[in-house]
Amino acid sequence: MSQTVVIDGNEAAAWGAALSRPDMVAVYPITPQSSLVEYLAKFIADGRMDADLMDVEGEHSVLSVLHGACLAGARTYSATSAQGLAYMFEPYFRTPGLRLPMVVSLVNRDSVSPTCVWGGQQDAMTVKEVGWIHMFCETQQEICDTIPIAYKVAEHPEVMLPVNVNHDGNYLSYGVAKVDLPDQAVVDAFLGEKSINWHACLDPERPMAVDPLTGGATGAGPATFVRYRKGLCGGMRAALDVIVEAHAEWGRKTGRHWSPLIEEYRMEDAEVALVTIGSMSGAAKDAVDEARLDGRRLGLVKIKTFRPFPVMQMARALAKVRAVGVVDRAVNFGWNCGPVFQEVLAALYHLPVRVPAMSFIGGLAGADITVEHFAQAIERTLRLAAGETAVEPVWLNEND
Amino acid sequence: MGTAFDTITFKASSCDGCGKCMTACAEAKQGAARISIVPGTKESSFELAMCRQCGDPKCVMVCPAGALAKDDGSGVVQWDASRCIDCLLCTAGCSYGGISLDSHTARVSKCDQCDGDPACVKACPTDALQWVTAGSVFNKYGDKEDMFVPGLSGCQGCNSELIMRHAMRKIGRNSVLATPPGCIPGMGSVGYNGKTGTKVPVFHPLLTNTASMLAGIRRYYDRVGRKDIVVMALAGDGGTSDCGFHAVSGAAERGEKVLYVCVDNEGYMNTGMQRSSTTPFGSWTSTTPVGEHMRGKSQDAKNLPLIMVAHKCAYVATASTGYMEDLYDKLDKAVEASFRGFSYLHIYSPCPTGWRIPSSKVIEACRMSVDSNFVTLWEYTREGGLRFTRSPDRPIPVRDYVKMIGKYRHLDDAQLDHIQSRVDEQVTLLKRMAAAPAAEPAVI
Repeated sequence: MSQTVVIDGNEAAAWGAALSRPDMVAVYPITPQSSLVEYLAKFIADGRMDADLMDVEGEHSVLSVLHGACLAGARTYSATSAQGLAYMFEPYFRTPGLRLPMVVSLVNRDSVSPTCVWGGQQDAMTVKEVGWIHMFCETQQEICDTIPIAYKVAEHPEVMLPVNVNHDGNYLSYGVAKVDLPDQAVVDAFLGEKSINWHACLDPERPMAVDPLTGGATGAGPATFVRYRKGLCGGMRAALDVIVEAHAEWGRKTGRHWSPLIEEYRMEDAEVALVTIGSMSGAAKDAVDEARLDGRRLGLVKIKTFRPFPVMQMARALAKVRAVGVVDRAVNFGWNCGPVFQEVLAALYHLPVRVPAMSFIGGLAGADITVEHFAQAIERTLRLAAGETAVEPVWLNEND
Repeated sequence: MGTAFDTITFKASSCDGCGKCMTACAEAKQGAARISIVPGTKESSFELAMCRQCGDPKCVMVCPAGALAKDDGSGVVQWDASRCIDCLLCTAGCSYGGISLDSHTARVSKCDQCDGDPACVKACPTDALQWVTAGSVFNKYGDKEDMFVPGLSGCQGCNSELIMRHAMRKIGRNSVLATPPGCIPGMGSVGYNGKTGTKVPVFHPLLTNTASMLAGIRRYYDRVGRKDIVVMALAGDGGTSDCGFHAVSGAAERGEKVLYVCVDNEGYMNTGMQRSSTTPFGSWTSTTPVGEHMRGKSQDAKNLPLIMVAHKCAYVATASTGYMEDLYDKLDKAVEASFRGFSYLHIYSPCPTGWRIPSSKVIEACRMSVDSNFVTLWEYTREGGLRFTRSPDRPIPVRDYVKMIGKYRHLDDAQLDHIQSRVDEQVTLLKRMAAAPAAEPAVI
């Protein structure tokens, strides 16, 4: 039987992981992820979860022990944030290249320096080109549901890529909400048998060399390397359909239907659209509703899947609007705008017409992006639609 | 495959000509000594006249009576008194003075190795004579399958390749092998472009995460009941003592059941001989060069095996290819211990390319390093504490070892004295640990 509980986002992630029955969980604490791994440790200690707990000496080893376990055939889970992700980066970069179907939660946090332990998506946005699939959750319920979905995607034979399930630090990690925990049997039926990547395994019964040297100026090396790289792109491409199918099946089994790639909110007749990602989307939707009450034709596109980027879905969703305002919780230094903004611009390039777009940056270092902030963003985007130019990003919390 | 035999070895440089071996032999055999120490060609040097138990013995060939025969089991050339016709042709046929007329009995006599317990060796006060049984390794393991392809591209005389082949030949197919970046995969063990160099599952961990990856593999195999797989690394000193140390220390602290073999060639040899934290004091490397302002490495080596003792691993040992029986014995124990907890074997491994020594001198360098206490051979268990497996008493001067290694060519007297004093210090510390009850390795 499913069970209704009131829990925070970290506990929702722990439940999502527990329901997915990983063989191995590796943990190292970091704010704001810490309570998540404490929940997991408690679940295992209480026998609610049958997994091996490896509490290791740092995030570098968190991912490394899971690499080993995964290469031996295990289903694995972990979670980290900002500095932990930075310390994990060396094995993190290697994971998609090895095509290891792992799931790791990122409890998004702004990255040092300046020193900060609060929410922000700088951690995830800094690793967006590495080859992990990235999904972003809006609510505690979506966190709990997305983790089993992530395993389904990661282990799909056409995908075989690691997945980061992102949820915002502070707002989601510590924010409490009602969550329906799906029945274990439902999740078991959804996930089916664990799918192992036998093309990269360490088993005396299937002896092989994993990750031999490739590349070099001549011979078979460079072409071999290119095949690996293209294969990874192929996995990303295949993931788009698999993510849609997995969400659909989850909806059929649980009754909860999440938009798999992007969610279009009141976009049918929208003339101006906001693009959001993560927990900010709730307040943004309220602001859209208020603008609608004022007679403005506002809509919103929420990004659920950020990698692979749903380029065509995004382009189609924004094809009919006259201006787009993209709200980021991170900074793209050098472009000096939001990273999601850059992604949206690249998607808009696929349209026959030029749609004006502008960048809003808010919610850094744990700052609140309120409905009022979104109202300002809407006003500014409406002026963009009316012909005003926008060169610099708008920093929403600059004068808070 | 043939058979290798136990043998008496003679090290002329250690012999002071005291003659105690000859006395001991004469007493043991109640007749003339069958061993002779004779003046050598140089002043105060000595040579040995004794039966070499030749593989193709001339004495046997010339004997008209069939009184001499090489024993297949022991390798000893046996003399049968009942068949001998006292013609003495054998004494003329031997180039080594190994068989001669005993004037007391008026018959020939020769060394029979005292049935494997030679009196001369026991009497030798300088260890110039030694009873060497390393051939047993060849007899026991020579027929086992080599787990690497024949054409690994190690340098000529590579000691690490020797260690790899020996270790995996012994451990066999039911294993998972990590070879972190360095010479060991660099010579092709994980292969190039789709072709593997190893018959067991093998992989490159990152330089930094070998022990962690192994821990994950072992935990999963234990979870699914495949507990007999040897999960192991053949790692270098850099990845173990420098950037990968967090993983080694963490896995040891958690008691992860893996076998971690550190092949210590005292630096990053694969990338061009840069310094690591196990590079000894004074050593030239490409990042501790010798010039007007720098005379090689100015710090002492990190003693990694002792650090692992401080982790109270299930097993810690040091080994050298100069003493293969000792190495094999420790491999056995290390594999067994790896099913109970973290098992750490540190094998010192001269690199002919990076150390600037001829490839023909590698094993000699191994032996000299041990004989001078530059390298000490010992093992540690939680139950038994620390124990020397080769006596550190009566060492040769460290200078004698160091002077054969090109990377130390520039050392001055003060540097040499420093190395000798550090070696003496290490031995003193180890002796205190060896003397302490097992429960108190805290003397570190």
